[in-house]
Parts: sequence; C-alpha cells; structure tokens
Amino acid sequence: MRRYETIYILDPDLSEEQRKSVLDRVEDLITQYKGFLVEFEDWGSRKLAYEIKKKVRGFYVRLDYCGAGDLVGEMERFFRIDDRVSKYMTILLDENADLEAIKAEMAAKAEKEAQTRSEQPPAEGAAAPPETEPQSTRARQEEA
Amino acid sequence: MAYPTRKPTTRKKRVFHRRKVCRFCADSTLAIDYKDVKTLKYFTTERGKIIPRRISGSCAKHQRSLTVAIKRARTIALMPFVGTVD
Repeated sequence: MRRYETIYILDPDLSEEQRKSVLDRVEDLITQYKGFLVEFEDWGSRKLAYEIKKKVRGFYVRLDYCGAGDLVGEMERFFRIDDRVSKYMTILLDENADLEAIKAEMAAKAEKEAQTRSEQPPAEGAAAPPETEPQSTRARQEEA
Repeated sequence: MAYPTRKPTTRKKRVFHRRKVCRFCADSTLAIDYKDVKTLKYFTTERGKIIPRRISGSCAKHQRSLTVAIKRARTIALMPFVGTVD
C-alpha cells in the first residue's frame, strides 16, 4: 500500500451542504477503493497566491490516506469533472506504507490527545467528554 | 620617481567572505515541507523567484528539496509563480 497526500481547493462561495457533499463523496471514494483515511484536515478559506478561475480565495482541504494507484486515479478524475473543485494536487508520501504501523501511530496520538485533554479539565472545572475517536474526520463533523 | 612602489599583480584582492551555513543542516529539527510557506518564503525573492544556493548558502541536498517544496507550493497556490513588487 502506498501513502498519499492530496490537497484540493474548493470554490469558496459554496454553501455548507454543497461543500459537505464533495467532502463526503471523496471520503466514500476512499472506502470504496479499500483505502484508509489517516488524516483529514480542512484549512478553511485561504487567500490564494494567484487567481484560480477568477477567484482570489479558496477553501483548502488536505487528505492523508493510504491506498492503491487506482484510488488516486479515480479521485483525480472526479476532481477534474467536478467544477466545484478548482485545483488539486496529490503527492506520494510513502511507497511502502505499513497500515498496522500507521494505525498504531494514530492510536498513540489519539491517546496522547485524550491524556492532555483529561489533564486540562480540572483546571477549568468542567469535565470534557473523553475523545477516543482516532479519526480526525469526526473533528470536521463537529465543526460542520 | 619612476620606480613603482609595488607590483600591482602580486597584491591579492581580499574579499571578505562570511561562511554561510545551511539552515537545515545547522538545525536538524527544521523540516522542509511544502505546506510551510513561512519557511519557504525566506528562500524566495519578493518576485517569487527561488534564491540560488550561492546566495542563500544552503547545501546542495537541502537546496534540491527546497526547490521541490517551493514548486509544489506554487502548484497548489500557496506560493506565487510571479509575485508583484509593490
């Protein structure tokens, strides 16, 4: 399995639902092609260094995932067709990604986060629910 | 009066060179990442051109990865291909 990183730029004027439909579509693609989403990040609306489709701002989304080449091919085909996506870029991070190692790393990271979170609440006086979800996809859903 | 006081050819021109050190070699915690625009900006001119190695002082290995990173950042519109000089 290979590990890839894709950044794509969405039209900043899209409504919340439209944007979500694109994000969900891409996530579905990953599961459909037996990929594994390691990290999801949305950078929000950012200023572009140059105009793309006459727009000076863009909504950046970063995906870190494992999968085979056909997943990347299909994803890029979708990006090319969909005109809500103004630009995309995929980068190969790791030629031989070890899925187990990545999962272990993610679990360790989530545990660490949960630990720092459980340490903080006593100072604030409020008990926050422990975060055990390893996937950052959940974080986006909370924001949405 | 006709004797030259010194031969002009033997006198070497001493240009003071400050040894530039590669930033990434000096600090191994620094990573070159195309998403990290702040660091990359340091290695481009205001116009957006990549600063050559002889000026920036970075080593060959890191300059290579720098150029790749800058070009990637340009592709995804994090950095400009051509900047404007204000």
